[in-house]
Amino acid sequence: MLVDLAGGWNPMWGRLAWSQIPYDNPILAPLFVAVVVGAILVLGLITYYGKWTYLWKEWLTTVDHKKLGVMYILIGLVMLFRGFIDGLMIRTQQAWAVGAHSSGVFGATHGYLTPFHFGQIYSAHGVIMILLAATPLLVGFMNIIVPIQIGARDMAYPYLNALGLWLTAAAGALIMISLFVGDFAHNGWFGYAPIFELQYSPGVGVDYWIWTMELVALGTTLGGINILATIIKMRAPGMTWGRLPIFVWATLSANVIALTSFPALQVALALIAADRYLGAHFFTAGLGGNLMLYTNLFWIWGHPEVYFVILPAFGMMSEIFPTFSEKPLFGYITMVLASMAIAGVSWLVWLHHFFTMGAGPYVNSAFSVATMLVGIPTGVKVFNWAFTMYRGRLTFNTAMLWAIGALFLLLIGGLTGMMLAVPAINYMVHNSVFVVAHFHTMLLVIVYAIFASVIYWFPKVFGFKLDEFWAKTMFWLFSAGTVLVFVPMYMLGFMGMTRRLDYVFNTVWHPYLLVMEFGIAVYMLSVLAFVALLYVSIRDHAKNQVGADAWGTSRSLEWLTHSPVPFYNFAVLPHISARDEVAWRRDNGIDHVQPDHYEDIHMPNNTGVAIILGGLTFVLGFALVWRIWWLCALSLLAIVALVIYRSFKGDPGYIITAAEVEKMEKEALRREAQISK
Amino acid sequence: MSSHASNVDPKTAELWDKSHYQHDVISTRTFGYFMYLLSDGMLFATLFAAYGVLSYQHSYFGGPTPADFVKPWYTFAQTMALFLSVLAYGLGMNALKHKNKSGVINGLLAALVLGVLFLALDIHDMTHLASLGISVATSGGVSAFIVLTQVHATHVFFGLIWILVMMAQVLTKGFTTEVVGRLLTLRMFWHLQAIIWVFVYVFVYLWGYMS
Amino acid sequence: MSHDQDDPTLHPEVQMSTSQGYFSGFAISSILMLAATFLVTSHAVPPFGLLMVISACAGMAIIAQIYFLLHIDVSEHNIWNTVALVLFIPLFLITIGLTWWMFSQLYLHTMIMPGMTH
Repeated sequence: MLVDLAGGWNPMWGRLAWSQIPYDNPILAPLFVAVVVGAILVLGLITYYGKWTYLWKEWLTTVDHKKLGVMYILIGLVMLFRGFIDGLMIRTQQAWAVGAHSSGVFGATHGYLTPFHFGQIYSAHGVIMILLAATPLLVGFMNIIVPIQIGARDMAYPYLNALGLWLTAAAGALIMISLFVGDFAHNGWFGYAPIFELQYSPGVGVDYWIWTMELVALGTTLGGINILATIIKMRAPGMTWGRLPIFVWATLSANVIALTSFPALQVALALIAADRYLGAHFFTAGLGGNLMLYTNLFWIWGHPEVYFVILPAFGMMSEIFPTFSEKPLFGYITMVLASMAIAGVSWLVWLHHFFTMGAGPYVNSAFSVATMLVGIPTGVKVFNWAFTMYRGRLTFNTAMLWAIGALFLLLIGGLTGMMLAVPAINYMVHNSVFVVAHFHTMLLVIVYAIFASVIYWFPKVFGFKLDEFWAKTMFWLFSAGTVLVFVPMYMLGFMGMTRRLDYVFNTVWHPYLLVMEFGIAVYMLSVLAFVALLYVSIRDHAKNQVGADAWGTSRSLEWLTHSPVPFYNFAVLPHISARDEVAWRRDNGIDHVQPDHYEDIHMPNNTGVAIILGGLTFVLGFALVWRIWWLCALSLLAIVALVIYRSFKGDPGYIITAAEVEKMEKEALRREAQISK
Repeated sequence: MSSHASNVDPKTAELWDKSHYQHDVISTRTFGYFMYLLSDGMLFATLFAAYGVLSYQHSYFGGPTPADFVKPWYTFAQTMALFLSVLAYGLGMNALKHKNKSGVINGLLAALVLGVLFLALDIHDMTHLASLGISVATSGGVSAFIVLTQVHATHVFFGLIWILVMMAQVLTKGFTTEVVGRLLTLRMFWHLQAIIWVFVYVFVYLWGYMS
Repeated sequence: MSHDQDDPTLHPEVQMSTSQGYFSGFAISSILMLAATFLVTSHAVPPFGLLMVISACAGMAIIAQIYFLLHIDVSEHNIWNTVALVLFIPLFLITIGLTWWMFSQLYLHTMIMPGMTH
């Protein structure tokens, strides 16, 4: 049943052996030491300050959607940094290994990375940035903001929400451990058949890649179900579909995509696993396998996934432009329709990732036209944002700057996307760095929207604003880095440079590559500015306290409750009367009216089951990677047993009495009154 | 204030909920579970797409095809076992309507026995293939055939575990909101297996037998 | 929560079960599967026509099961399930249909095989 392995295997340890630890690698070994020292330091500090109980009770076992969202965002930021370091390494190799006379160190003929190591780095960069940085960051914001924006106390399934987080964390841990135990896939982030087959990739790298992506896919599907059910079933009274904040609409359309498309990824990867573990012939060369079937199945998910990450970013921008233009959003209905149209069309365009497969003129033209159709709803959105700002009273704080930056990048990325939608052009630039520059521009739209949201919603979650000086410094450094890295990349694409080169043969390209290297150094400075931003803001937090309506011009429902948001969100659920409820209340002078009496609130209990399930899933993934069958069986059994245990135990929840609510509300109002003085 | 798209008078507007608005726990649970089932359906759709691409003549690489090893009447017996199991579960749910505990338990027990029968027939079929030397490693076409049918069988297997758990919960906890909600979600899960099976039976077994 | 105090077995989604519905769903789909199996084993119909007939059997069996077993209709308690299903069905068709189309075109352009060009 199981395939024969070329290398060693034993029943106890599977494929795991000391030789799999890269202690002789001059890059990984010092990093490993640094990670171990860092981990000991962090754990030691937690123990020293006696924070374990706090950590366990308040964070690790929480089912509060805001805390889970914050943890999603923390995972996302850590992985964003890891992905950035991968990018830095790729750029450095390409700036170094140019021409036959370039030097080589650490066993590489040119540059400092061997081709196999370089392959692992660009594969990890892609997987991490899309699935473990962008996705958790966006899911984090959806988690925090959506329930408050629709006037709910929590998600529809708080426990499932925690489970989704810990599955994502397990996936992150799995990809991180691949640095130090074994290796990672070298087949690009989306994989190519048949290079990921056991015959051509006998190591464990591809297995790490498969199970990491499977775990993220599972976590995101569960999260998607939760958010959809929350939006459809948990809206406050009066929150009709026409009054739903635009970010909620964007989240809704994005999660429809997540729910429908992630199963395709799970199948594509499971079939690779069937090939590698059971010797099946889905994607093999010969014996009836079909190489392009994999590419097809992957992009059935892959293209909708692109819109899964961009639609929430559009939603964030649609919240930020009106707030800092002091005008309602222009064209609310068209904005909603455009989101839904993008979600719909996203299902009809996936072949444009492999026009060069050669399916012929009919297929290529159909998918080309469908791809160009995406430009219509996206154009509608761009014009709506422009008209929102038109004749508005603009405030150029940093959130607004990031949002405007995203708008510019969207224009560049969108227009180059239109070029790529033409099969004739696509054949010319397929797999060139022009394509890489295009999709990085689009993903930077998301990054810009995320940083805009960090600044915009930070005061809502923590109760104080971020420091404007450092935020602006970071924005301008980041933007300079973007220009320096990606403008030369577009040029190199036109000059014919292909992607994923571990050695650049053409010395004419060297100056451009050096400019890009300089650009990535500027990005590094913006990372430092971000650290400074957090440090300075937390140090001075007492000076930057805010009330419920942190910006004074906010519009949607999340700004009605206190900042930071109490764990029950609203003491009494609001009754919604208008589309921009907070703006409507403010304009009518009723924004400070408080409920006249409080009632008991029913809340779910914390649970340690979710984090334990996450841990067991990590063990299962690790055992599958190393083919330790007894551990697979054991962890799977433990997962099933724990799920059954939880279903017997249930959660009756607990009651916060009206008196307690009143006390907490009085305290929050007293604090707000102090700030406004 | 037309810019807010509201025609509510702010002077008389109700600002805070006074209607003791509560969510319907059971409906929220069943709707979320139904969405999960649809995404599970998408999983099968993708598998069917793969099967479609891998069921050309060349996909079998000159080796055995489903026409050589599918026995329609045998699989029809499997079909009847699954359909009867679904029917039994449905009748159990009808007993739930009348708060008839023994009726629910009998329905679940019958569904369990018939489900086990379905799975036993499937396992017997697979061991028969193995005895002919046919496995996932035979060819791309056979890989697609076996994986698609066995993914369905895996669903049935986990459904059987779930039925056992629910029998225990009905006996120990009675008809609480949580137990009733789970019985409803299990009903959807179990009935969906029959729906998927129609596709598997007609387009994998019967069509494979034809070609 | 609203049903915590009430009896959960009175919930409309419990009350919509009927033995008659389950028997109808079972009978219709069983008869259709029996007919399909009989037609396939008897080789009475030419292959293309047979494919059409058994597809029709499958389609009708699915509709019967979705209606009688999953209770998909436009009543207040099922409307969101129906909306979700209606949104999903085109995607199922797209996934299978477009994949089939692009690969049949691909084989047409890249592989010379007997029996491929109907």
